[in-house]
Amino acid sequence: MRLLVAEDQAKTGTYLQQGLTEAGFNVDRVMNGTDALQHALSEAYDLLILDVMMPGLDGWDVLRMVRAAGKDVPVLFLTARDGVEDRVKGLELGADDYLVKPFAFSELLARVRTLLRRGNNSPTPISMRIADLEVDLLKRRAVRGGKRIDLTAKEFSLLELLLRRRGEVLPKSLIASQVWDMNFDSDTNVIEVAIRRLRAKIDDNFEMKLIHTARGMGYMLEAPESE
Amino acid sequence: MKHLSLTTRMSLMFMFAVIAVLTVAGLSFNKLSQHHFKMIDRQTLVEKFESTQEILSSTHGRADVTEMQPQLSALLGAHENLTAIIFANDGTILFSNPSPVKVPEKYRHNPDHGMWEWQEGRYMYRGMTAQISSPDQPEPLTVLLILDITNHMHFFETLQRWFWIGLVISALVSAALGWVVARGGLKPLRQVTQLASSMSARSLKERIPLEPVPLELQQLVSSFNAMLARLDDAFLRLSNFSADIAHELRTPLSNLMTYTEVVLSKKRNTEIYVENLYSNLEDLKRMSRMIDDMLFLAKSDNGLIFPEQSRVDLHEVVVKLFDYYHLLADERSINLTVSGLGSILGDKLMVDRAISNLLSNALRYTPVGKTISVAIHQTSTAVVLTVENPGETIKSEHLDKLFDRFYRVDPARREGSPSNAGLGLAITRSIIEAHKGKIWCTSANGITTFHMEFPRPGLSKETE
Repeated sequence: MRLLVAEDQAKTGTYLQQGLTEAGFNVDRVMNGTDALQHALSEAYDLLILDVMMPGLDGWDVLRMVRAAGKDVPVLFLTARDGVEDRVKGLELGADDYLVKPFAFSELLARVRTLLRRGNNSPTPISMRIADLEVDLLKRRAVRGGKRIDLTAKEFSLLELLLRRRGEVLPKSLIASQVWDMNFDSDTNVIEVAIRRLRAKIDDNFEMKLIHTARGMGYMLEAPESE
Repeated sequence: MKHLSLTTRMSLMFMFAVIAVLTVAGLSFNKLSQHHFKMIDRQTLVEKFESTQEILSSTHGRADVTEMQPQLSALLGAHENLTAIIFANDGTILFSNPSPVKVPEKYRHNPDHGMWEWQEGRYMYRGMTAQISSPDQPEPLTVLLILDITNHMHFFETLQRWFWIGLVISALVSAALGWVVARGGLKPLRQVTQLASSMSARSLKERIPLEPVPLELQQLVSSFNAMLARLDDAFLRLSNFSADIAHELRTPLSNLMTYTEVVLSKKRNTEIYVENLYSNLEDLKRMSRMIDDMLFLAKSDNGLIFPEQSRVDLHEVVVKLFDYYHLLADERSINLTVSGLGSILGDKLMVDRAISNLLSNALRYTPVGKTISVAIHQTSTAVVLTVENPGETIKSEHLDKLFDRFYRVDPARREGSPSNAGLGLAITRSIIEAHKGKIWCTSANGITTFHMEFPRPGLSKETE
C-alpha cells in the first residue's frame, strides 16, 4: 500500500512517515502543496494524507486539483483548526476523513486502515477464525477450543470488531464509537472494563492469549506467531 | 421623544402642563366675565325699564309723553351708552334719545323680557323691548332700550390678546423653569453616572453607596451593584481560569520534564525507557484532551457553538448511554433506571455528550449497590431530564459553582483522578446553554439531582 504524506512541519512529517512505514506502508513524504500535487497526479497512491496549512498550495487546493484531474484516491486531512466550516469545506471538496491535531498516532493508523479497507469490497465473511477461536458472524456465536462461549450482544460486537481488524491496534475511542456509538471522548474506563470482561470469557481459561493491550494506545486481537 | 434627554423631556412636559392649566383657566375666566357682563347689562336694562314705566304711567296720552321728555332724558341720559326709543303702535317715534339707532326689525316687536344682542359694523348692542300700557292709555307704547356694549367687546379683545401673549411667555418661562428643576432633580443621577463611569476592572469590588441615592434610583443602583457583583464574579472566574490552565497544564508538563530528564540522566535498561515513554504518553493524552475541552469551552463562551437542529429522542439516548455505562455500574452493583419519554431539537452528538457527562459524574459519586435514576418529563414549554443519584449531600454554597470549570467540591481531590480534569460539568452546561436550555443541581438528604431543561420543540417542526 502506497501513501503520500504532505506535511510542512518537518518533525510531524518525519514521525508520520516513520510510524506509517513501520506499520507496513510504503510512504512518500513531501513538504509543500506544489510537490504534493505533482506527486499525487503522477504517481498512483492508495491514500493521500494532506495537511491543510501548507506553503504554496494549501491542502484544499491540492484536493480540488486532484479531484479536478479525475482522481478519486481517498484523502485524509490533518488540521490544527477544529472549525465546523473547515470540516464542512473538506467534506464538500471530497475529502474522506479528517483528524484534528493533536491526534493519537494509533487513531490516525486506525483511520488510514479504515479508508484503505473501504476501497476493496471483499464480501463479508460468514465466519472467522483465529488460532482456535471460531466466530460465526451469522449466528453470532463464538467457540474456542471446541467450547461454546456465551457472549452478550455488545461483547460479541466488540469481538467481531477486534477480529475484523485483527493485528491492528484499535484505540479506545474507535472501539467506543464502533461498538457503542459513543462518538466523543469519555473520560471513563468503560472500554477497559469491557475488554477485561471479554478477556475473562475468551482468554482466561486458555494458555494462548489472543487479546493484547497496547499500553496507552488501545487493544489488539492477534494470535502469537510463536510461543 | 425617544432621543430627547431626560431634562429636555421633563422641561417640555412641564411646559405643556403649564400651557394646559393656563388655557383652561383663561377660557373659564373669559366665559365667567362674559356671563358677568351680561348679568350687569340685563340688570341695568331692567332697572331703566322700571323707571321708564314709572314715568310713563303718570302720563295720559301721546302729548304727555312728549312732555315727559326732560324727565326721560334725565333718567336715560345718566347712562351714556344707553339709548331709548319709545314709539306708538302705529310706528310713530315718540321719544328717542340720544340718537336713533338702527334696530333690526325683528327686535322691534318682540315684547318679552328677553335680552337680545346684535352687531352692526364695529358696534355691538344689547337690547330689550317691552310694551308699557297704563290704564288710561288707549294703546300700549313700545319701549326699546339699547345698551352699546362695544366697550365690553374691546375689553374682551384686549383680554384675549394679552392672554395669548401671557400664555407664550408663561410657556417659555415654564420651559426654562422646568429645565432648571429637571437638572436639579436629576443631579443624583449624574452623580451615579459619574461613579459608574469611574469603575474599571480593578475596582469591580467597589459598590455605589445606596444611602445618598433618592428612593426612585435605589432600584437602579442596586441592579447596577448586582451587575458589578456578577461581573466581579465572572472576572474572578476568568482569572482563576487562566491560573487553572497554567496549573493544570503545568503539573503534567513538569511530570513529563522531570521524569524524562531523570531517565536520561544515566544509562538504563530498555524497560525503563519504555516505561518512561508510556508514562509520557499518558500525560500527553491527558493534556491533549484538556486542551480540546478548554477549546470547546472557549468557543462556547464566545457563542461559537451552533448545535444542529434535528430531533433527538432523549429516552433513546439514555438507553444507549446505559448500554455503555452499565459495564461500570455492574462493577459496583449500581442500578440504572430510566423513566419517561421526550424529544428535543438539538445536536445528537452534543446531547449524548452532555448526558454522558452527567451519568459518569453520577457513577463517580454513587455508593456501591445504589440506584441512579434518570427521568424525562415534559411541561408545556420544556422537556426536563433529571439524573438522580444517592450520595453525599452537596452543600448549597457549592451547587452553583459545580458547573464552573475546574471546580471541585473538595479541593484536595484536584490531584486525585488524572482522567477527570473537572471540565465535564462545565462542558455539559455549555452544551445545554447552546441549546437554549438550563441546568441546575439540587442536593438534599443524601440525594443529588441534576436537572437539564430543554425548550420543548415547536409543534410546527413536529414532522421533522
